[in-house]
Amino acid sequence: MSSAFASRLPVILLATVVGAIAGCQREERHFTATPVPADARAQADALAPQQAGPAGRGMREVAAAGTYDENSAYALAQGKKYYRWFNCIGCHAQGGGGSGPALMDASWIYGNKPGDVFTSIMDGRPGGMPSYRGRIPEKEAWELAAYVRSLSGLVPTDAAPNRADSLSGADPEGLRDPQRPEDKARK
Amino acid sequence: MSAPPFAARCAQQLTRIALALGAGACIAAPADGDWPTAARDPANTRFSPLAEITAANVSGLQLAWSFSTAIGKGHEAAPIVVGDTMFVVTPFPNRVIAFDLATPGAHVKWTFEPKPDPHAQGVACCDVVNRGAAVADNRLFFSTLDNQVIALDTRSGAELWRTRLGDFASGQSMTMAPIVVKDEVIVGNSGSDFGVRGFIAALAADTGHELWRAWSTGPDKDVRIGAGFAPFYANDRGADLGVASWPPEAWKIGGGSVDGWVSYDPELDLLFHGTGRPAPRNPGARPGANKWTSSLFARKAQSGDAVWAYQTSPHDRYGYDGSNENVLVSLTLAGRERRVLLHPDSNGLLYVIDRATGEVLTADPYAFVSTSRGVDPDSGALRYATDDMPAAGRVLRDSCPGSAGAKNWQPSAWSPRTQLLYVPTQDLCEDTDFFAASHIPGTPYLGAESKMHARAGASRGGFVAWDPVKRRKAWWLPERFPVWSGALATAGDVVFYGTMDGWFKAVDARNGHALWKFRTVSGIVGQPVSYRGGDGHQYVAVLVGVGGWAGLIVANDLDARDGSAGGGFVNAMTDLPAATGRGGMLYVFRLR
Amino acid sequence: MTQNDALDPAGPQAAAIGQLWWPTLWLCVFVFAALMIALAWGLWRSRGGSTATPAARPDERGERNARRVVGAAVTLSTLLLTGLLVASVAADRALASLPLADALAVRVTAHQWWWEVTYDDANPQRSFTTANELVIPVGRPVVVTLQADDVIHSFWIPNLHGKKDLIPGRVAKIELRADRAGTYVGRCAEYCGLEHAFMAFDVLALSPAGFDTWLARARSDAAEPVDEAAKRGRELFMTGSCMLCHAIQGTSAAGRRAPDLTHFASRAHIGAGRVANTPQALAAWIEDPQKIKPGANMPAHLLPPADNAALVAYLETLR
Repeated sequence: MSSAFASRLPVILLATVVGAIAGCQREERHFTATPVPADARAQADALAPQQAGPAGRGMREVAAAGTYDENSAYALAQGKKYYRWFNCIGCHAQGGGGSGPALMDASWIYGNKPGDVFTSIMDGRPGGMPSYRGRIPEKEAWELAAYVRSLSGLVPTDAAPNRADSLSGADPEGLRDPQRPEDKARK
Repeated sequence: MSAPPFAARCAQQLTRIALALGAGACIAAPADGDWPTAARDPANTRFSPLAEITAANVSGLQLAWSFSTAIGKGHEAAPIVVGDTMFVVTPFPNRVIAFDLATPGAHVKWTFEPKPDPHAQGVACCDVVNRGAAVADNRLFFSTLDNQVIALDTRSGAELWRTRLGDFASGQSMTMAPIVVKDEVIVGNSGSDFGVRGFIAALAADTGHELWRAWSTGPDKDVRIGAGFAPFYANDRGADLGVASWPPEAWKIGGGSVDGWVSYDPELDLLFHGTGRPAPRNPGARPGANKWTSSLFARKAQSGDAVWAYQTSPHDRYGYDGSNENVLVSLTLAGRERRVLLHPDSNGLLYVIDRATGEVLTADPYAFVSTSRGVDPDSGALRYATDDMPAAGRVLRDSCPGSAGAKNWQPSAWSPRTQLLYVPTQDLCEDTDFFAASHIPGTPYLGAESKMHARAGASRGGFVAWDPVKRRKAWWLPERFPVWSGALATAGDVVFYGTMDGWFKAVDARNGHALWKFRTVSGIVGQPVSYRGGDGHQYVAVLVGVGGWAGLIVANDLDARDGSAGGGFVNAMTDLPAATGRGGMLYVFRLR
Repeated sequence: MTQNDALDPAGPQAAAIGQLWWPTLWLCVFVFAALMIALAWGLWRSRGGSTATPAARPDERGERNARRVVGAAVTLSTLLLTGLLVASVAADRALASLPLADALAVRVTAHQWWWEVTYDDANPQRSFTTANELVIPVGRPVVVTLQADDVIHSFWIPNLHGKKDLIPGRVAKIELRADRAGTYVGRCAEYCGLEHAFMAFDVLALSPAGFDTWLARARSDAAEPVDEAAKRGRELFMTGSCMLCHAIQGTSAAGRRAPDLTHFASRAHIGAGRVANTPQALAAWIEDPQKIKPGANMPAHLLPPADNAALVAYLETLR
């Protein structure tokens, strides 16, 4: 091999190793939720006034809460899939909103922290967001929460979906800049 | 000055029509100065016989008084006037406000808060609108978003009764303006886009008790199809077509909401209404003709039994509702006097239908239509332009008109003087992507996402004056935005309508010349009305406040970067937020 | 016994492919053997190696022989390849000329990682959907329309035909016929993700009478549960997460993102051929499908044992 290549070899090797390690997080896939004992999770006994689906007690899981993970491309891709499957797209479109508020902008009525979005999904909100507790298992709801945050660019770029499978014309989630409140005025 | 007592007016009317009818009960034509229901009269003409405001003097129209509702959603209602009181129903929370027109500046007489459940806002597809109340016999009837029909005493605002007609958790809401026929209040539901099975129902005006309900899909018993059913076309004949034209069970979540207008012919004793589009929007999920969605019905008023039905858009694939208004007029066609209804359908065709039999006399495009080529005269079926069925994974492009139709809920007006129908329209094409949808009650059941766009070189809206005898436009006015407001025709040969960027306009009914306009505080999606005020002068009133499906980008502050937002409308309305903001105001005008 | 052998044709399509495959195999064996013999002879003949200087003038006879041998080999290759070409074209024509009178029309949509099978009918009331199972009558041609929902899959029933890709956005068709009753395996034959290897479907070729019986039952609504556990199971199904994705005809469950379960208990496998459909396997599947088929889109449900048993009881009634 050429001496130029040989002299750069250690740097190339180091860069490769660092890159591989950095990519590991993105590629982690957790198929099964981390079991969490039942009494460590808050269970709302009275269901929210509007539930998605027929009224009833829903499924009461004894364990398995899962955790929020916005670094896994798999989790975000699953969230994107469930966003369409569970009809989120019908009220919120690809983040632009409709009968529901826009999720891709900087205005968050109930907060944009992972726990806030998770609570919006599980318990519903007074303006008409239905409650999905007992309908979507908690692990999947965390994946959805991560995806909802990616709609306004709040998750790592390498993990967010990078291809828009929709005709909406909006940028793919991986190309959206994080929305700050001042961005709203400039929109 | 107050109108003569109801009984006296009734007696006058009976004397006038007794020889012609013999059987009519007290369906009095409204007093000249009144506007008792959203469409003014049972024929749904929206024509005011007042002639003080004319094409010559309307340029002198000025603001008489105004009132802020302080609600930033779409105001689609018609202000209702009976005697010296005006009644306005606001968007959610559906407050009813009564104004005393005998006092200068129209003080508020009373306000009624129905307190609908705020969670119902989650199942309103197209903004939390309300299309107005109906007043008869000192009672006011209106519906709330959370499926309640409420009757109030018009004098005091006291609640007389309240009936719940469904659960919003299923996805159902109510937005339509009721009508009163004899002692029945006729109402219908919304929710096609949520897979809610549509219906029209009659409640007893004095107690609110449900007298009959006719569903839009399902077995004949549910649709109230029986021995007296005689549809004109063979396609509409058969047993239980509301089940047989669907895959198993799909009719239960098939849509067909009755959220549009209901008209009534007292001579034939028939109610006319349409049904909305089928659910889901994805046609591959529901092979079959999908009766009785996107259809017109004529029903007996007392029983709701169907006399004829006609499906305007069989196995709809473009999202065309059939629930637009049916304006009842008499026309001279081919030398004969015909009693017809004029129906500007979402699919872009203006139907002239014999209202006794359901025969389609003519059906001509009143807007640009690429999805169909008229109606087959023998079978009555809509001739779709292509058999190419949209399939999951393929985008269907440039369907004109799009799912908002050439005309959506916004009602047209008829002038018996000019014999023209004034139709507010939009000209938008649509690209749609279909996918499988799961029905989850309380969530949208669509299986489609779309983007609307203007046609190259065409404006997005137009105000059309249609001549149903000559079967063409007499004149039309292009507008920058879809004309989402209602139309008002008056005996002074002035026609009024509003634009989504806030211009309230008066044009000459005969030729469309612009006569007067007024810039209001927000875009106009309401229904203008005209009445005689306490001082004997003619007034024109309109609710202002942009919203509705077309105005969602402003009303709900949607993000323009996602063209598919707002049911695809956002892509075609990205310039609306710069042109108008939210607002909620009642404007009342009179001559100087 | 489930048959899964491409070399054991059970219908004319696989037979036509077999009629091309075997001659090609023997021909290639023959050519390969001949080449190996020629190579061995060449190596044997040149053993020892001569160190003498090669002659200045070419050996005319040797050259002529070499030319003849090469010429003969080229001619033979051309003839054999032409023969294969003719056989290949003939096989294609045979595949395309399956008589299609009275064909059964079935629509298969491939998802990650299961098969949605829809039997359409001109009367929409008689159409229905099932999953992971293709039931066909013996002796009657079947035209299968192939679509994919997400990525490229491939439809392969070794005993009946070759492979045909299902490509998102495109519609393909495959025509086949089973001439022998029995149970065959169908597989996905195009890598489609984590669980591609476990995306199989059962193909049941029934006698015409048996097929009519199956069809009548498949069109029917789901059975009503009778005992308390099954009723509780249905309540859990309808008020929990199952109905968000699954459909059961005759109930209000109308999800379209997962296999239709109307007649689930009559199917042989769970998870697109992953495990046999037994109550124990079903209980484990409901508790955590990820342990059985990691990456499958069905989430885990760690329910109290009584609830899990109730769901199993209900699903077992769906024959």
